[in-house]
Amino acid sequence: MSTEPTPGSPEFEALRQKSIAEAEAAIREASSRPDLHLVQAIQALDDTDKYLNVTATRASEWYGLHFPELIQMVQDNIALCKMISEIGAREGFSKEALAGRGFTDKKVDAVLEARDRSKGGTISDGDVGRVKALAALAVQLSNLRGGLDDYVGSQMKKVAPNVAEVAGATIGARLMAKAGGLDRLAVLPASTIQILGAEKALFRSLRTGARPPKHGILFQHQAVHTAPKWQRGKIARTLANKIAIAARVDYYRGAEDASIKAALDKRLESIREKYKEPPRRKPDPSGRPRKEGRPQRREKFRRR
Amino acid sequence: MTRLLREERNGRSALLTMNLAPGKRAYNEDLVLRGGVEFRTWDPFRSKLAAAILKGLPDDIVREGSRVLYLGASTGTTPSHVSDLVGPGGVVIGVEFSPRVAREFVERVARERRNVIPFVADARDPSRYAVSKVDVVYCDIAQPDQTEIAIANCRALLAGSGTLLLVVKARSIDVLKEPERVYVDETAKLEGAGFRVRSLTELSPFEKDHALVYAVQPG
Repeated sequence: MSTEPTPGSPEFEALRQKSIAEAEAAIREASSRPDLHLVQAIQALDDTDKYLNVTATRASEWYGLHFPELIQMVQDNIALCKMISEIGAREGFSKEALAGRGFTDKKVDAVLEARDRSKGGTISDGDVGRVKALAALAVQLSNLRGGLDDYVGSQMKKVAPNVAEVAGATIGARLMAKAGGLDRLAVLPASTIQILGAEKALFRSLRTGARPPKHGILFQHQAVHTAPKWQRGKIARTLANKIAIAARVDYYRGAEDASIKAALDKRLESIREKYKEPPRRKPDPSGRPRKEGRPQRREKFRRR
Repeated sequence: MTRLLREERNGRSALLTMNLAPGKRAYNEDLVLRGGVEFRTWDPFRSKLAAAILKGLPDDIVREGSRVLYLGASTGTTPSHVSDLVGPGGVVIGVEFSPRVAREFVERVARERRNVIPFVADARDPSRYAVSKVDVVYCDIAQPDQTEIAIANCRALLAGSGTLLLVVKARSIDVLKEPERVYVDETAKLEGAGFRVRSLTELSPFEKDHALVYAVQPG
């Protein structure tokens, strides 16, 4: 600070240019971080899921006007969209057209019979063209989704192998996206990781004293959502603890450590064992029947 | 000639600042000619300083020739108007922590405006951008300890009897406390640190749960 350059002087301009160059270098460095690309990839994946759903639903609704029986018979939306885009109008359905789609002979016969007795209306060439295009887009989106999914999986193995191992690649990537990068996830307390994605419930709990959320994004983890209800909070907490450790190891040490997953599995096993039975309701000392609705927070924690 | 204009627009008062980089926009503001000179419209819904001025904050705090330390430059909307106000003889030291928004700030504001010096840095470390003492510290950062950070920056870089403009972001300090309560508490912190608080301007309807505190550091 000994030199305080006068605005507009050559010294000032030199200082300004140096500062701009440094700022740009910092920005460039930040934008090349692989974890930030991973965050974009997982968000692209989740976006694609949404588009895929609406597109496939619209295509099947539209096509259903013409051949409702097919929609009933083919549950898999993507397989259905593939057929719509490749075969088109009902009349095109034949043994040959249905070959190689993984249908049993019985199913093929059923489709052909439905074709002949269809309650669907006629469809113009113009309509067929649009529905086919829409269905083709759904198929493309499905391929895009598959590619993104593979990419997230392989990148997570490189960027955050321990988080990928403990949380699973997609859930780990979603946590990273919520936190704002691996560096941020690595400094979050486990209690925050546990409820990332449940902000609405958390703030409602803080404001009204309603019970706090047990899990946010972590609910998607199969160890949580397949567990009986009374175990989920404990499992989510344990999982969050191990993810916090995994993120720190990934960010600061950058080496795989199989002991984290092993410790998690051991702990999950003991939770499942110890809390096999649902907790018994404690009898209310006042003898009154339990109140309906959300339990109120105890007086001393309630906001004034 | 003043670098800030007030005029009536659709029955509302509006602010304009004299464009330091004629022909260039910093975002998608309107460029208009007044007396043959180009001005930029200053939207109070996008800029909390404009909101505060419309709600009665004196408009001569940031003036021609001022040296301003701007913490929380973001994409540079408000810094660009501060740059207009201080003019070629003034300085705006713009500090932004997030590289993502700093990209726009550097690209659209710092590069185009010869009185702006950008830093991608943490406002908790004033030594990173200690290039000059300043007359005004403007602080708009979403941190629970934003007031302490602002005070530390004033201690490090604010010239004697300089001014602090602190945007109190009630929801960033405590989501549960009543905003009015937060304003009182943060103002008390400033007074405890020796500042004289001249005014507190609540920014509704332009900005929810925000207030701008105008305080002076004793000389």
